[in-house]
This record gives sequence, C-alpha cells and structure tokens, in this order.
Amino acid sequence: MDFDDTPDEAAWRAEVRSFLEKHHPSGERPRDDPDAARAWQATLYEAGFVGVAWPQQAGGRGGTPMQQAIVDQEMARLGLPALINLIGIGMCGPTVIMHGSDDQKQRYLTRLLRADDLWCQLFSEPEAGSDLAGLRTRAVRDADGGWRITGQKVWTTLAHLADFGILLTRTDPDVPKHRGLTMFVVDMKAPGVTVRPLRQMNGDAHFNEVFFDDVRIPDAERLGEPGEGWTVALTTLMSERLSLGGGGTAVGPKPEVVARHVAEHIGALTADRQVLARQQLGRGFVAALGARYTGYRQLSKLSRGEFPGPEASAGKLSGTQSARDLTDLAVRVLGDDAPIGGGPWQTAQAVMPGMAIAGGSDQVLRNIIGERVLGLPAEPRADKGVTFKETLA
Amino acid sequence: MNFDLDQEHLDLAAAAGEFLAGSASPAAARAALDDGAAARPGRAELVKSGYATITVPESAGGGGGSVLQLAVVAEQAGRVLTGPSLVSFARAAVLLDGDADRLAGLADGSLAVAVVDDSGPVLDAIGADTFLALRDGALVCGPGTVTAREPIDATRGLGDVELGQTVVLARDAGERWQRAERVGRTVLAAEGLGAAAYLLEMGVAYAKQRHAFGRAIGSYQAVKHLLVDVYVAVEQLRSLVWWAAWAADRAPGELPLAAAAAKAAAATTLEQAAETVIQVHGGIGFTWEHDAHLYWRRAKVDRFLLGDDVAAFDEVARLAMREATR
Ligand SMILES: Cc1cc2nc3c(=O)[nH]c(=O)nc-3n(C[C@H](O)[C@H](O)[C@H](O)COP(=O)(O)OP(=O)(O)OC[C@H]3O[C@@H](n4cnc5c(N)ncnc54)[C@H](O)[C@@H]3O)c2cc1C
Repeated sequence: MDFDDTPDEAAWRAEVRSFLEKHHPSGERPRDDPDAARAWQATLYEAGFVGVAWPQQAGGRGGTPMQQAIVDQEMARLGLPALINLIGIGMCGPTVIMHGSDDQKQRYLTRLLRADDLWCQLFSEPEAGSDLAGLRTRAVRDADGGWRITGQKVWTTLAHLADFGILLTRTDPDVPKHRGLTMFVVDMKAPGVTVRPLRQMNGDAHFNEVFFDDVRIPDAERLGEPGEGWTVALTTLMSERLSLGGGGTAVGPKPEVVARHVAEHIGALTADRQVLARQQLGRGFVAALGARYTGYRQLSKLSRGEFPGPEASAGKLSGTQSARDLTDLAVRVLGDDAPIGGGPWQTAQAVMPGMAIAGGSDQVLRNIIGERVLGLPAEPRADKGVTFKETLA
Repeated sequence: MNFDLDQEHLDLAAAAGEFLAGSASPAAARAALDDGAAARPGRAELVKSGYATITVPESAGGGGGSVLQLAVVAEQAGRVLTGPSLVSFARAAVLLDGDADRLAGLADGSLAVAVVDDSGPVLDAIGADTFLALRDGALVCGPGTVTAREPIDATRGLGDVELGQTVVLARDAGERWQRAERVGRTVLAAEGLGAAAYLLEMGVAYAKQRHAFGRAIGSYQAVKHLLVDVYVAVEQLRSLVWWAAWAADRAPGELPLAAAAAKAAAATTLEQAAETVIQVHGGIGFTWEHDAHLYWRRAKVDRFLLGDDVAAFDEVARLAMREATR
C-alpha cells in the first residue's frame, strides 16, 4: 500500500502539470462558452490528456486509469472547470467501446474525445426515470431494414448542443419490459429531432426535452442486438456512476476550496456560530475525505484490471451528500447576509438537489447497493413477468 | 499509488482474526459485565501472541512492524471486542521509544502499561501496573492507584487513576505525546472499524432471515436503506483508517488530519452501526442475551476515548482551514 506516486506516475504528473500551467485558459470559465470549451478540450486531447485510459483503437492513449486520475487531479488543483463533453467521455464513449461495431468506433470515438462532436444520453422519459425500463419511445423496423423512432425524452443534458446521442428505445412491447429494448446512436441533427431547452432550478438551461417524430436511424447505428438494450444501458449506467462518484473525482466544490472560504469568513461570526461552522466543516470534510479515499481504493482495483461493481454507486451517493453539506456550510458562513449576498455559493448550492437525482436518485442507488452489494432481498415487483403492453393496461 | 492491502496484510489479518476469535468473543464481554470476569484474551495472552507489540522494535523484543500492520490486527480485535485495547500498546510503544528497558518490559509482558490523559477515565487502567502521563510538558512514568466505577463496557478496563511516585522519562515530550495520541486514535479507529463491520454483517444476516408481513424485512426499503447507510459509512471509515495508518508510517505531515478524521469517523460510524443493528433486530436486539448491546456499549465508550468526536471534528476543521489558507 502506498499513496505516493510511482516514479512513472510522478513523471506523468509533472508533464501534465507543466502543460496545464502553461496552456490553461485564463479569464472566463470555458464551460460557459461552448466554443471555447470545445477548443480547450481539443487542445487537451492533442496533448494526450483526454481519454487517457481509452484503448488506442478508440482514439485514446492506451494509458492507465491512474494516469487519467492524475490528469483529473491536476485539473482540479488548478480549479479548471470540467470538460464540456463529460457525458460523452464518461457514458456514451464507454458504451460505444463496449457494444459498437468497428465502423462506429472508427467514426465516432476520436471526434468525441476531441469535442468535434458533443454527445448526449437519451434515456429518461416523462414516464420513465428511475423506472427506466418503462420507457415508451418506439423504434419500428422500416422496409429497408432501418428503424423509425417516435417518442419523447426528457432531462437530456446537453441535447441542445449535442451532435449525437445514445438513444434507448422500445422495439418489442410484447415481452417483459427489460427485454424489449434496443439502443442506437442517433444523429441529433436528423430530420424529425426537436430539442426544447428546459430551465433548471439553478437558472441554467443545460437539460432539455427531446422529441422524435418518425426519425430514421440506419440499422448500422444500432448498439448491441435488438432486444439487448437493457444490457447495453447497464454499461452506460455503471460508467456513469463511476465517473460521477468513483475513481478519485467528485461532484461539487472541492472540500479544500470550501475550507478556504470558511476560513475567510468564520472570523465575522459570533462565537457560537463559529463552533457550529467548525463542526459542520469537520463533518463535511471527513465525509469528503472518506469518499475521496474510497474512490482511490476503486482506482487501485481498476488499475489491477478489476472492474468495480455496484459498490461504485456508494461513491456517488456519499459524494453527493458531502458536497451538499459543504456548499450549505459555504452559504451559511456568509451570515445573515446570505439570502441576498450568497452569490456563486448560492448558485453552487442550487445545483446540489439535481446531483442527488441525476444518474440514479439517492433512493435508487441505495436499492442497488442493498440488493447487489449486501445481497438483501429485492422488493416485490408488480411488473415482473408481465409484458410491457400489459403494464400499460 | 496503490491504495489497497497487500497479500502480506491479508494473511496477517486472517491469522490475527483466527487467534483473536479463539480467545475473545462477545460472550466473554457479556460475562465480564455479568460477573466482573476479566476482559479476554487479557494482557498476558495478547502479549504472548506478539500481535500487541507489533510496533515495538525488534531490538526490544517486539515485532518491528508498522502501524498499518497493527491497524490490520486491530480491526480483527474490534470484531470480537478484544480487551485490553491495542491502543494502549500502540501509544506505549511510541512514548517509550528509545527506552530499551521499558520497551523490553512492554514486549515481554513484565510491564503492564496504561496511558493517563488529562481528563476522563483511563483506558486499560484495570490490570495495569505502570502508567504514562504528560506533566508540565514532561513524559512521566510510575505506579498508580486504580479505582473502578461502573463501566458501561467492561472490555475497556476503564478506571480512575491516581498517579503515585513518578519518574521523568523525557522533558519537552509534547510532540512525542501528540504522535502517540494520533497513532492511538488511528488504532482506536481500526478497532471501531472491525466492530462496525461485524455489526453490519450481523444486521444484514438478520434482515435476510427475519420475515414480517410475508416478506424478509431486508426487502423493505426502510430497513434496507438504513443498512446501506451503515455500509457506506463503514467503507469510508476503512479508507480513512488505512490512510491514517499509512500516514503514521510514511507521511507524518498528513497524520494529524488523517488521525483526527479517522477518529471522528470511527466514533460516528460505530455508533450509527450499533443503533441501526439494534433497530433492525427489533425486541431481540434489546435483550441481554443478544450481542448487539455489547457493541453498542463499545460505541458509547469509544466515542469519548482520546478526545471525543466533537473535538476530532473541530480539529479536522481547524487543520483544514489552516492548510487551505497557507
Ligand atoms: C441535473 C440532471 C441531469 C440529468 N441528465 C440526464 C441525461 O442527460 N439523460 C437522461 O437520460 N436523464 C437525465 N436525467 C434524468 C435522471 O436520470 C432522472 O431524473 C432520474 O433517473 C430520476 O427519474 P425521475 O426524474 O423520473 O424521477 P422518478 O423516477 O419519478 O422519482 C421520483 C421520486 O421517487 C423515488 N423513487 C422512484 N423509484 C423508487 C424506488 N424503486 N424506490 C424508492 N424510491 C423511488 C425517487 O428517488 C424520487 O425521489 C437528469 C436529471 C437531472 C436532475
């Protein structure tokens, strides 16, 4: 056991650090300007710092998860914003790598890493969120072997900017709901696709409603076999939870940044509030460290070629909770002025409720851990063994 | 970076687990409560096994091992409520560093040491004949008079200690004292980890087997989610314990934060695990015969040892703020 970098890791870290310090964009946060964000990701890709652990045939560097984690750590150290194509890198790409044809890999993956194309994940629907397999968007074979898609998706992050998406559809309503699904890559600029931005509670409009009106998808854009869409989607969801919680990265502000902010403001609080603030910082900080080091343990597993299983969901669950507690503290230490002077901290706080829902709600993640890690019995299900059509009746 | 136990650690855990489970147990802890029997396995056996003095240098007859090794053993000790605590041995090994004779006494069992803090009852005072304390910045050592009161957990050997005639072992020993306390916090957290992990296993097993309203109770989310929260807390505690133990061996600069974080997380996690597991067991969990209360007692004692969790969280906050504004 050793936390220190190996000589190889240290050399890699030095290379990453010197590149980032020289080239990182100053001034405006690039995430707020999509063109600048794409350009920055392209720069990073050309330098070899995006998709580090992806295979070379997939446009990656064929490096190790640890090398990727070192890039992420160094980006975080400099306070650089997350890459724009995170959903593409974290979820869509791994799904294409695992289930796509050689041709699809060729066409999509390098462009995705370089942010030539942005990607989105078209899973959730108005009637199917946690119960994702209950989705209704239909894909029907047409005469020349392609597919016709009709239906609606919702909460689709980045759909308004995306060039492609992975799309989960129902191809067979006459079997139980998990068995009649099929996954596709969809061209977001295809005729019949309409994207309508939704405003979020934090004021941003990063997610959308997406409507499919008889959209044609060639059969070559299928990911996996017809009817196997649930298995394909599980790859995506696993990758999602890993990228949100595991591997040493975390959602929300870094605990160290909150600690600095608290240190700057705590002096202005009354003595009793100071005690309270330190207790809250202590608790949030311990939880964040616990989540961070548990992520490192998963990273160590990954580095040995083991794939972390459902326990990766724990990192998302606890990371979200500690991020929520720490941003709340950051607002609190602003004192009575917080409600009108909360500024960026209040804005950061308004992201947190969404983090506890996106990528599996806290409750759904607890179910997954309870059943798949602890082996507790599953809940009885009203829809078991029933065809999808019958569940609608 | 490789943040995982090596095979050598896993082997050590297995061997220590086997020895400790063979000599200590919740049943023994209950007997100690019932009729004042001594905690098991007791000092002599624990010393003889070699596990208690892993961190004492080989030159003094100890194991010459690392704090991480001791932590791995301590986790196993926590699972079966072993007494006396490895914390006392760990602190003594640091405090007596350089004192070849006394270290040898610690390693061969001729010295039965407990460490006296400024306030609160003394861990492992019962059965100790030699006491270490910090007085005006100096490390002192001597005999003492022990008064037992009404221990809520009989395995901790708690008592009030009145120091007798002491000798000064080292002046200006503040730093050494602090290091000993931090190593002690780390080992205490490791014992807490073992106890909490065992509680979780107990709760999960019962939730699978007990039925109510025609279903196993573990299939109800109200029960399932309680246990999952314990699982998440236990895994995070495990990470913090390993980190603190590694820091004690290899990165002294990180030890203050790591030890405080591990201590705080252990205090809250063990308590959460104990309360949860009693709840999950219903009425049975509240009986004297069931093991749950023995772990609950540990939790209620351990949270006060080596500074309570409130103090540990406060220390984490102060260290984090200091580090962040440097
Ligand atoms: C910021 C954000 C970004 C998102 N981005 C995307 C995206 O890019 N692509 C995409 O496809 N989706 C996206 N989503 C959708 C997200 O995956 C869903 O919102 C989520 O899965 C929950 O589904 P729902 O909103 O339908 O809530 P529901 O499933 O209706 O849940 C409502 C409540 O019921 C609870 N609940 C539901 N089922 C259970 C159960 N079995 N046990 C206990 N409690 C239960 C939930 O925890 C929740 O509290 C995003 C969501 C957010 C907030």
